[in-house]
Amino acid sequence: MRPALAYRHRPGPLGDGSALAASLFCAAPAGAALVSSDPIVLAGALAAVVTAGLLAGARRGLALAARWNLGLGVILIAVNGLTSQRGDTVLVHGIVMPLIGNVDISAEALGEGAVLAARIGIICMAFAVHATTVDPDRVLRLLRPIARRSALTATLIARTVPLAARDYARLGEASALRGPLAAPAGRAVLARRLVAGSLDRAVDVAATLELRGYGHGAPGRADRLRRSRHDTALVGSALALFLASAGARLAGLADFRAYPALRFDAGAWTIAAALAMPLAAAAPFALAALRSRIVGGRSRA
Amino acid sequence: MPDPLVSICGLAYRYPGATEPALGGIDLQVDPGEFVVLAGRSGSGKSSLLRACCGLIPHYHGGEISGRVEIAGLDARDHGPAELGGAVGLVAQDPESQVISTTVRAELELPLEIRGEAPPARARAVEEAALALAMPHLLDRGVDTLSGGELQRVALAAALVLRPRLILLDEPTSQLDPVAGDELTWLLRRLNEEWGMAVILAEHRLERCLAVADRVVALEAGRLAFSGTPEAFLDWALAHDVALATPGARLFELAGLRPLPRGVKAARATLAGLRVATPEPRPASEHDNGPPVLRARDAWVELDSGTGARDVLRGIDLEVGRGERVALMGRNGAGKSTLMRAAAGLLPTIRGRIEAPSGCALLPQSPADLLLRERVGDELPGVEGTAALERVGLGAKLDADPRDLSGGERQRLALAIVTAGREGPGPAGVVCLDEPTRGMDRARKDELGAWIDELAAHGAVLVATHDVEFAAAFADRVILLGEGTVIADGPPDEILSGGWYFATEVARILDTPGAISPEAGASLIAAGRFRHVARASGEAAVAPAVPATPIALQPTDTGREAEDVGGVIPEDPGGGVP
Repeated sequence: MRPALAYRHRPGPLGDGSALAASLFCAAPAGAALVSSDPIVLAGALAAVVTAGLLAGARRGLALAARWNLGLGVILIAVNGLTSQRGDTVLVHGIVMPLIGNVDISAEALGEGAVLAARIGIICMAFAVHATTVDPDRVLRLLRPIARRSALTATLIARTVPLAARDYARLGEASALRGPLAAPAGRAVLARRLVAGSLDRAVDVAATLELRGYGHGAPGRADRLRRSRHDTALVGSALALFLASAGARLAGLADFRAYPALRFDAGAWTIAAALAMPLAAAAPFALAALRSRIVGGRSRA
Repeated sequence: MPDPLVSICGLAYRYPGATEPALGGIDLQVDPGEFVVLAGRSGSGKSSLLRACCGLIPHYHGGEISGRVEIAGLDARDHGPAELGGAVGLVAQDPESQVISTTVRAELELPLEIRGEAPPARARAVEEAALALAMPHLLDRGVDTLSGGELQRVALAAALVLRPRLILLDEPTSQLDPVAGDELTWLLRRLNEEWGMAVILAEHRLERCLAVADRVVALEAGRLAFSGTPEAFLDWALAHDVALATPGARLFELAGLRPLPRGVKAARATLAGLRVATPEPRPASEHDNGPPVLRARDAWVELDSGTGARDVLRGIDLEVGRGERVALMGRNGAGKSTLMRAAAGLLPTIRGRIEAPSGCALLPQSPADLLLRERVGDELPGVEGTAALERVGLGAKLDADPRDLSGGERQRLALAIVTAGREGPGPAGVVCLDEPTRGMDRARKDELGAWIDELAAHGAVLVATHDVEFAAAFADRVILLGEGTVIADGPPDEILSGGWYFATEVARILDTPGAISPEAGASLIAAGRFRHVARASGEAAVAPAVPATPIALQPTDTGREAEDVGGVIPEDPGGGVP
């Protein structure tokens, strides 16, 4: 079974767009979540990343990222609720915790934790969409002329991680084959064996890189900015997405304060900015579909 | 004479920390456009020599080196693999570690991109390499969706895309089925002829590649033991190390024929007009030893490798009886490993059943996956564990690190790990070995065959293998799978002589049903020759012993005489072969 976050070419704006444009498009909702903490804007950014992921065919990657972040979110909310002793709306009073002592849990502390969890979740989901839909080879090609060593490291990781995943699956299967008298294969033993094996794998991959000429000198820049017909739509959509969040913030809208009482802006402009985000995310896909329909109609005619 | 492409003088090399040198006193020259097969037992230094020819030794592996290695005029001690990469490409044994990129196209473009080729030149080179290897359909596939054979082809294409003057291949067919292995070998010959590219191919299964070779170089314990034509090599191998001789050469040696054949075509040319008797049909071997140890009834198994679920086994029906030694054969992806994994309980059936009432132990393709501890004795602790290790001959190595064991010892240890404790008071179950001969020389295969006999004495053994010659040597039954179904099931004499790809070299040479081993083939040649003489002199035809002294045989026009013996002797042993 292919890992949910493994890249697979999916025809469409993200799959066929240039690495730079596709990366900018995926980074836009993450950027929106970084610049704004307003729950309504965050809901818009979340809707944008989910829309983009679903339209790009990254449903499994999105679902996996969402599952991970759900767990992480619960932990963040709980930790923030227990550690932040501020907020007017005390929900639970005087819980005695070992080491910490008496704690109150306020709605504001939980709300702040939820906003933090939502921001992290949106960023992770945006990266999940990027990982599953944007060809890592093209991203590395973009990086290679400007950050050679980092690109080399990323290339090694990009190859050794799926190999390690496959090796781990094989080791797990082999451990199930051990006879009744064989020493049991616990997780720690398997992990140690996997690390040792991964080092060997990394050495083999590095030898291959050497043979392919990696030590030969800086690669050419000739096609670093190779473009695609989807690029304009992707970059335009990314700008619109980011500006909806950053613009609202700069205009003094989309304000969020957790303390002393939860307060966020739910004005018409903030709601409009949030609604614009999924629409901006869907735009490149809608344009591509429209273009295909027009071309299809012409060829039928 | 053109300057040699490879010029090696007095090369000696020792890996870091090793006590013994891997290579010593090697003097070798390879001319442009030459096709050289590198022969030798496991550990003889073939891989080390290839690494020295591409600069990985000493630049990547370190160690101590002396002597001189020049590749295309560049001294490999001064120029690293990246600099030599324009002149030499390497394809190693494990294709998984040789592919770096996510898609095939990106993999082929990478070396060109690194060397600063312009996009149009890259696109053309990628297209040319893909067309040369008949793989344009793979270009936009993700590398994680490719089979082992396809990955090996991609690794070869990535090595060829720079149009190197020399290509080095380290057992590239070891993971391929006979069909893909033959395709790859002939593809190399075509590239060698059309592109003028020199090839150095290290290989254990020499019967697959001698026919395409210009020269054979044999290594023994890191030293050059032989260099000459394939025919001269076979003479040398029969005299010095019979494990390196091909089945065809052993057939000719036993039949007393000369010259020794480099391949099927040469053998048939020598045998043209010679009579070969048809073997008497043998009664099928019976294994009526109680209930079967493995039984599959309408077994369907589905797998999803990321591109959607597909049925890998489609209604398999079979029974394996106690004492049977079964070879499971078929192309890559035919369902051999899946059948074994389902028998071992690793995979569920979606319909039907696969049962092993007395248990099933599976030795996977990579036995090293079972070796998790740093001491042999820790893998099987306790008195019973030690007894199990003693049974596989590792009683004296309890304190050794499994990584320091030889390949054969590691395999025996892995076998002890999967079987220990399964043997009950009654008959043991079935032991499945998945591709156990990968990268093995013939001596180790003989050792493996001996264990299989021992294991079969206690239960039954099922071996998935692509190695036709090994199957002919150990099995008493061959099951051929195709697309998840049983397409042939019978004794080896019948299954391994009735086709082309899944047939031994002797079967392909003689094209006579039932003759698969050199010994059987030599007997048939001798019997055919004797019957002809007997018929001519009116005596009773009794099969003679195999002649001891070689006979220099000239092809003669004896087809008319062959008709006289009424179909027992085929008129043309090579007839009917594509």
